[in-house]
Amino acid sequence: MNLASYRKKSPWILHFNAGGCNGCDIEILACLGPKYDIERFGMINTGNPKQSDILLITGPVTKRTRERLVEIYAQMPEPKVVISCGACASTGGVFRGMYNCEGGVDQFIPVDVYVCGCGTRPEQIIDGVVQALGILEKKTKALEESVKLKKEAWQEDGQLNRRNIADEIKPLLA
Amino acid sequence: MNEYLIPVLLIVLAPVIGGLVYGFDRIVKARMQRRIGPPLLQPFYDFLKLADKRQMMVHSTHAFLGIMHFVSLWFALAVLLLGGDLILVIFLHLLSTSLLILAGYSTRSVFSHLGANRMAISVLAYEPVLIIIAVSIFMINGSFDTSVVFASDQPLLYKMPLAFIALLLILPIKLKKSPFDVAEAHQEITGGVEIEYSGLFFEAVYTAKWLDYIFCYTLVFLFAGSNILLGIGLVVFTFFYLAALDNSTARVNYKQMLRFSLGVAFTLAFINLLINSLI
Amino acid sequence: MNFYLSGLYFLPLLIGGILLIAPAAISRIIVILSSILLSALALYVFIHVNEPLYFTVPHYVNEIVAGADILMLLYFGWVAIQKKSWLVGVMSIVQLAGLLYLLKNLPAGESMPFMVDKLSTFMFLLINIISGIIAIFTLRYIEEENCSAFRKKFFLALLFFFIGAMNLVVSADNLEYFFLFFELTTLASFLFIGFRKDEVSVKNALTALWMNQVGGIAILAAIFFIAYNGYGEITFSNLLAHANAEGILLPLALLSIAALIKGAQLPFSKWLLGAMVAPTPVSALLHSSTMVKIAPFIILRLSPALKDTPVAMVIIGLTGFVFIASAISALSQDNFKRILAHSTIALLALMIMMGAVGTPVTVVASLVLVLFHGISKCMLFLNAGVLERVFHLKQSSDMDRLGESGPFTALVMTIGFMSLLLPPFGAFIGKWLSIETLGALATDKRLLGALVIVAVAGGGAVLSLLYFKVMGLLINRSGEKDHIKFEKTGPYYAGTIYILLGLVLATMAGLPLLLTYYFAPVASATIGQPVPVLTEGWNLFIGTMRIPLLPMLIAFFLLPVTVVVAMFIRFRQVDRAKEYMCGEKVNYAFSSFYFSTDRAIPYFSAAGILFFIALIMVALI
Repeated sequence: MNLASYRKKSPWILHFNAGGCNGCDIEILACLGPKYDIERFGMINTGNPKQSDILLITGPVTKRTRERLVEIYAQMPEPKVVISCGACASTGGVFRGMYNCEGGVDQFIPVDVYVCGCGTRPEQIIDGVVQALGILEKKTKALEESVKLKKEAWQEDGQLNRRNIADEIKPLLA
Repeated sequence: MNEYLIPVLLIVLAPVIGGLVYGFDRIVKARMQRRIGPPLLQPFYDFLKLADKRQMMVHSTHAFLGIMHFVSLWFALAVLLLGGDLILVIFLHLLSTSLLILAGYSTRSVFSHLGANRMAISVLAYEPVLIIIAVSIFMINGSFDTSVVFASDQPLLYKMPLAFIALLLILPIKLKKSPFDVAEAHQEITGGVEIEYSGLFFEAVYTAKWLDYIFCYTLVFLFAGSNILLGIGLVVFTFFYLAALDNSTARVNYKQMLRFSLGVAFTLAFINLLINSLI
Repeated sequence: MNFYLSGLYFLPLLIGGILLIAPAAISRIIVILSSILLSALALYVFIHVNEPLYFTVPHYVNEIVAGADILMLLYFGWVAIQKKSWLVGVMSIVQLAGLLYLLKNLPAGESMPFMVDKLSTFMFLLINIISGIIAIFTLRYIEEENCSAFRKKFFLALLFFFIGAMNLVVSADNLEYFFLFFELTTLASFLFIGFRKDEVSVKNALTALWMNQVGGIAILAAIFFIAYNGYGEITFSNLLAHANAEGILLPLALLSIAALIKGAQLPFSKWLLGAMVAPTPVSALLHSSTMVKIAPFIILRLSPALKDTPVAMVIIGLTGFVFIASAISALSQDNFKRILAHSTIALLALMIMMGAVGTPVTVVASLVLVLFHGISKCMLFLNAGVLERVFHLKQSSDMDRLGESGPFTALVMTIGFMSLLLPPFGAFIGKWLSIETLGALATDKRLLGALVIVAVAGGGAVLSLLYFKVMGLLINRSGEKDHIKFEKTGPYYAGTIYILLGLVLATMAGLPLLLTYYFAPVASATIGQPVPVLTEGWNLFIGTMRIPLLPMLIAFFLLPVTVVVAMFIRFRQVDRAKEYMCGEKVNYAFSSFYFSTDRAIPYFSAAGILFFIALIMVALI
């Protein structure tokens, strides 16, 4: 029996708002409602990192949430995937460059799936989660490293410039 | 031989049946909310997935107590199904609950502590009622043994309907269903005592919850005596009642829960006891 | 046999005398040896006394007893004048007047003043073993006490005097003698509680004194009514022989009142709670294992006469009420010793209730509770002493992280609390037997039985909440070490606690044997009818009650073994993670929760007074 094949049948989600405007969070909650009903895929919004498989992050990382984010990520047992949900979580979005804002999630923890949009639509979130499940099935129990640790960032306003290094990190993410 | 066959089968398969009940429960709940809900075997998918996670724990004492909670609950269930003494069964169930409460206290986690505190209060809320129901059963049957209850022709339901209502009122506390799910309160203390468990160790606590379903439905089944049809009817009724209650009510705080269970359920059980002792 | 018995009576007094003058090094050896000797004597007597043993004393002893009575009451009066306590004074005067009147008017019968039966030997065993262990513990404890060298010796000597008085109390048959020994234990508790001589101690000691003197007055009144009604000799055995006589209820009720006061039942629970200011061995000695056990002892002694009388019904009602009320009051307590004291009162209520019901199974239940509660509570109290001396902890809310700094103490205390609550321990068996037999009672005495079951069920649940609250603090730890290292508390502390732990576990494991060969003979001798205990396959039958042994055996592996193993087990291949606190890094101080049940306590006392009035009323009618 291949236990790994059951991973995608019961993905439990931890939802973390790193400092966003709550727009994406409401869309995530909409996924749970009767219209989209992600529970039919066995997904549960657990609220507890120790029992979760998917970390769903909304909002840009702020100076206050940075350490909490890493702590919570570390408490999730492998295999796990991280979805950055919405423009802010992926790159910093409209908050990028603000005094309190550290930028995208992937500067601190490895991200597997980026979902675009401001705010993301539930369909997009579900699509992102389904993609993440594909990745989850292939993952091992080994620890992962952040992009930032693997690649010295090209500095521009103190943050990673995604456009310039996208090609370089692609093989690393695969 | 035959009389032991069914209980032993039930005991051995209890986690499987409990898992199916839980899966069906989730479907029914989803349908009541006009959702489709997860597949029936969802609890088992969860189970298999959890087995594949990296093993993590806070410390060994905590993890071990969680496993022993599962083992002792299974044992309490076995004693109940094999026709053991009802008071002993209640105390054995208390033993298994106590191990989980101790596990909750053993970590330095805020939510775990809150959950353990609330669970201890839940014990206070439902245990007296259960003991009084057990004594009422004794007054009717002249024996505390559940085997006598299972064998009696006269269903207890007709003789002690009030006790059945009292049982229905405390079952949500025991199964941690809304409105009395303060001990678990996922949105508030994210699961209470079970929060620090992960992977294989969480599996033990998760599966113990399925066993609790079987335990509670067996208590309900007791009220039908040897009338199996009535017993199944009662269990099905309780099942839908619990699902509907869980969907339609909001959580109350622990004081309200205690006041309700000791004020209403306890009083009902007590009146029932008085009536039984006077007839 | 008389030789061994007199050993039990005079040896403690002799040792007490020696300890007053012996230097510290010698007194240690004396205490340890004499504890062993007394325990051995008690065991020997228990094995060899099967029939009630009456023995007489020379005539001049009567005079000595009367003289000692008067001297003691005069001492109480002197205390009253010195401390300006009018309550003690009034009680002493009343007692003195009553005693003098009785001495003058009582017919000098040729009664046998002493009777040693199975119940007495059962109590000997409990008293001498537990008190001996406490005496050894005291050797170390009292060294650290802040008082003069003589008072330290005095404390040890008093302890042995007390053992002697207790041995006498349980073997007195003549009520006049019984009165003296009863008052001697009162005196001992007064001296013990006031040992520290600070303001609170003296105040609480006086409270204990006058409350227990009420018990003494009740005994005197009982003697008076027995003589007045013309039943002849004022002995327990004579009283039981007249069990159905008219007007017998009043002396029975009065003696029961003495018992209830000694057992600190509401509204007289204040003295036991106040006694917690005394040094911890005193709490252990007086209030857990020995002195308060006089209460169930008297009730058990009287139970053949009390059974099914209105007096017994009131006692059952009262103790049922006390069981739940003191469990509720305990919830608001923070001081560890006070928590133990409240739960002692609750369990004493259960023992007295079982004795008052008086059927074979309930008497067994009462005896089981007396023994197991004695051992477990003694262990817990001694641990409270260790906490106080070694860890400097008195409040239960300060015990956070005790599991790390003192793993052994935490483990032992967890086992102690579990032994009071859960299967397979003896206290659970007692509680189980009581619920099941009360069920049987309820089919007979309907309303009362139903009410008492409610009290027992509710009180039991409240007590379990209380124990969980304390156990939670004990088991709490932040992480784990590869090797648990037990803390060093010194040979006296560690030794006595190891012995008690061994006793708790051994009595639990040997429960089927104990029930058959230990409790059943005592119970059948007490109530004068056979208590059948049968072992058939995996079931143990006591009367109509069935105890399945297999579940108990498995429960043994599930509970005590689990708790111990949980402490030592290490999952080495598993990664460790920090606790989930929403990603925050805050150091929390953990404490337990409280319930403000203090407001209810005056009502409880008022209800207790009503019960006491009712007790007299039913006896008069």
